[in-house]
Amino acid sequence: MRLPAFAVYIICLLSFLAPDVFAQSTYTISGYVRGTGSEDALIGATVSVPELRIGAATDALGFYTLQLPEGSHTLQATYIGYETTTRTIEVTDRDLTINFALLPANSQLREVVIEANSLQQKLNANQMSVETLTTREAKLLPAIFGEVDLIKALQLKPGVQSGGEGASGLYVRGGGPDQNLVLLDDAVVYNASHLFGFFSVFNPDAVESVELYKGGFPAQFGGRLSSVVDVKMREGNKERIGVTGGIGLIASRLTVDGPIVKDKSSFVLSGRRTYFDVFTRQINRIQEGKEDYNPIPDYYFYDLNGKANYKLGEKDELFVSGYFGHDFFGFNDADFQFGFDWGNKVGALRWQHKFNPRFQVNTTLSGSSYQYNVSNKIDVFSFSLTSDIRDVALKTDFSLILDKGHTLQFGAMATRHNFTIGRLNFDSDDDRISFGAGNDYEATEAAAYIADDFQVSSQLSLNYGLRMSAFTSGGKTYGAFEPRASARYSLSENTSLKASYASMMQYIHLVANSGASLPTDIWYPSNDYVKPQRSQQVAAGISHLFGGGRYMVTNELYYKWMHRQIDFRDGANLFVNDNLEGEFLFGKGESYGNEVYLEKIKGRTTGWVGYTLSWSYRQFDDINGGRRFPTRYDRRHDLSVVVLHELSKRINLTGAFVYGTGNAYSLPVARFAFQDVQGKSATVVPVYSDRNSFRLDAFHRLDLGLVLKFKPKRGEADLTFNAYNAYNRRNPYFVYFEQVKDEDDNETLGFRAKQVSLFPVIPSVTYNFKF
Amino acid sequence: MKTRRAIYTLLLPLLFLLLSCDMEQEVEIKLPPYESQLVVECYLEPGKPLRAVVLESVSYFNEPELPLVPDAEVFITHQGRTIKLPFSPIQNKATGKYYTHRKNEKLNLQPGDVLMLEVKDKKGRHVTGTTTIMGQVPIEAVEWKFNESNKAYLLTSYQDDPDAANYYRYMVHRDSLSNSSQRDFVSSDQLTNGQRVSYGSGYDHEEGDTLIVSLFHIEKQYYDFLSSISDARRANGNPFAQPSRIVSSVQGGIGIFTNLSYNRKTVVIEK
Repeated sequence: MRLPAFAVYIICLLSFLAPDVFAQSTYTISGYVRGTGSEDALIGATVSVPELRIGAATDALGFYTLQLPEGSHTLQATYIGYETTTRTIEVTDRDLTINFALLPANSQLREVVIEANSLQQKLNANQMSVETLTTREAKLLPAIFGEVDLIKALQLKPGVQSGGEGASGLYVRGGGPDQNLVLLDDAVVYNASHLFGFFSVFNPDAVESVELYKGGFPAQFGGRLSSVVDVKMREGNKERIGVTGGIGLIASRLTVDGPIVKDKSSFVLSGRRTYFDVFTRQINRIQEGKEDYNPIPDYYFYDLNGKANYKLGEKDELFVSGYFGHDFFGFNDADFQFGFDWGNKVGALRWQHKFNPRFQVNTTLSGSSYQYNVSNKIDVFSFSLTSDIRDVALKTDFSLILDKGHTLQFGAMATRHNFTIGRLNFDSDDDRISFGAGNDYEATEAAAYIADDFQVSSQLSLNYGLRMSAFTSGGKTYGAFEPRASARYSLSENTSLKASYASMMQYIHLVANSGASLPTDIWYPSNDYVKPQRSQQVAAGISHLFGGGRYMVTNELYYKWMHRQIDFRDGANLFVNDNLEGEFLFGKGESYGNEVYLEKIKGRTTGWVGYTLSWSYRQFDDINGGRRFPTRYDRRHDLSVVVLHELSKRINLTGAFVYGTGNAYSLPVARFAFQDVQGKSATVVPVYSDRNSFRLDAFHRLDLGLVLKFKPKRGEADLTFNAYNAYNRRNPYFVYFEQVKDEDDNETLGFRAKQVSLFPVIPSVTYNFKF
Repeated sequence: MKTRRAIYTLLLPLLFLLLSCDMEQEVEIKLPPYESQLVVECYLEPGKPLRAVVLESVSYFNEPELPLVPDAEVFITHQGRTIKLPFSPIQNKATGKYYTHRKNEKLNLQPGDVLMLEVKDKKGRHVTGTTTIMGQVPIEAVEWKFNESNKAYLLTSYQDDPDAANYYRYMVHRDSLSNSSQRDFVSSDQLTNGQRVSYGSGYDHEEGDTLIVSLFHIEKQYYDFLSSISDARRANGNPFAQPSRIVSSVQGGIGIFTNLSYNRKTVVIEK
């Protein structure tokens, strides 16, 4: 463990820089920009002094900082969808705190903002390879069953692919769905999906925005190879109680928010539940007793989100966030009682302290757990299988603004992981059978980082940093340096060049060998045998603003190397296995591609076009005869076109078209007859050849949406109509080979391929309200 | 198996609305040229004549014919003596079981004996394999218990040897071995090494049922082969499964060369 040495390095660096902190020739003006009537931070709002041509954008907390000389200045705060507010201030001999509360541009639903960051800010930011999405943007997009899903909306961005029809998994720049770090208010979420990944766990009413980092990772993030999904929950209204909700085809939502102590603290509580089970139970009741009727299994999921904040004083604020979500599935008949439930519990307590306007710290204590239970009772025999992961984590992040264009970010984190892998019990009521298996593991993960954002000149800015991570489990310790660097160079006011390098480590691994996100996927620590995964990514891009700042086109090229990638032996037993390590295989991977992104965020018609050309491969000694093979989600072409049009103040129209090369897929090339010992009737056994050597048909789909806003007696409301898969395309979900038999004598007549699709056109309507 | 089926039916609530739509369609798949391999099934049993099946694997969409290989030659070597099994296809009408190569010679096989198989044809294909005769593992008890509905469950127990890695196949037939088995699975002692192991059943049996319970003590190569067969069959038609390679016990082709060493008990379920 070299952590102490690293800490000493940070302290030395700080002491060296400390005199600069206080020898200021200008004064710091800082504060929050929020929307009136809510305490929601406006992320990416601009606060500027037009006459000095100085400006700053607010961060993820809505906080901005400016350096101004003495004198009288006019501060201007702008945010799309809100009225611009100006304030004149006198800077004399001290730093000032100036907060802004912006009025919405019209009295309709508050979240009229289409894109939080203005294009100019995006162009000028050091950070590349990041996609931001607000709940409001996601709410306008058409969604399957009308269920708004931020994670699925992210799949419309270039470089991000879905695992398949309807799935909410993210495959970012050729990485697997196990390589995404999903954070909810800084706490890790392990299995961010419901119902086989068809829905993500994030209730849109509880979420403010989500940021997805595909590359150029800031040094404060680590632990996964391919992406960081940073979800921020929204804060409650500090002035009055508000209720928001929606009634949809398969689920309903209700959110209450308001002040706890006026102007000091607020809360937001949000719940969501599906109700297929209400209908299926009814159907089962009607059909009860009918011969040959197989009851429909019981299924539902719910989410509960809560967040509260409390202002302790001018310099201190506390935030508590929580998420509980669970899926339940049950199937019972006379001699078979099957239950399957799974869910996440996530909690975070964050303390924000400002030493002064230039120096602040956020310290977060968080806990996260994911667990699944399968239980089955057949007559006298009962069976249960449980796996889980439980984390407790502490992290602290400092932000320090220095003179001469430096802003320093540094911090440290430590996480204690507890794993239960395949805890199995098998018993009979009369105790004749009693059998148990399973393993428990513990691990500690720690990291420290420092990064400097350096504005070298008006044209050039750099961000360079170092993360040092360490992991220990089962007596084995791993450590690594993860250097990060990015640079931006402005060719002109409207054109920027950007480049980045990031090295990432992943110490815990998802044990899953399917293409879907299954609730039974479990996490496994690195140990003597299973070494950590590592990746390196380089990216370079150019962004150009045109059409009077209304359009921006970005092109990014990336190349990613992945080392010690994990897969599993053919036929691996991942459910109940006391020697799981024996099923792991290790190999390498690479992915590369080009992403083009054209976006328009101003005007009545907004939207984007994203196109990705990419390649993604893996290579394992024991798979495919050691030959390189494409990953299932290797997608040569991927196109998304999203158009949002405001027909009038009351009517919004949206359309999203996606096209993608078909998934790489394995199919049997041959068959043989297997008679077995009994020889009663030979069965057909498929012979597979190269891994993922076939391609399913191309995937394309058009989704349409219409949002009709109206004013009931109280509050606001809208009806959202969606048509998922509007032209009823039968997109391939999978292909299988079938034996064609004669109905009379059961003789085999031949063999044929069948393609299964999942979703036809699905119309839906959702009623949303707010008062 | 039921667990797995139930997991898949988890999709049902979501999809039941859509089942009325035809979400399946026939598609044309162009398969690459495939070079057929020899497929061998040969099970040795003490005191039984020598029998083998030699066929070929074929491209998936070929006509459904039995792909015989008349020019294949089959040899079994035991204690330095090589016996040729001539090509003589036959189907047992009672069991439906067919063989392509056979010789009515019975070998005196003892546990620990190693036998070799060699198959070759005029195309130059050459398949080899070995098997080691396994010892029996006795069934210690076959018990049953009735519930209030006069249905009984069956419990079969045996003692696993702690000093060896053991693999088993368990089968239950009703009335006759010619009938399809009621239960058939393979297991290893990975989680039960050295323990007294019991296999249970549901309340599937009634008074008067005649049950034939067989416990095969099998080689690891047979366990791997059977597991891979079942994985490969499951992978065709399951969007969540990875394709599975067939783990043959023979080299140079596909198939299994093993021996059947089992302990069998016949019981009549009585109150």
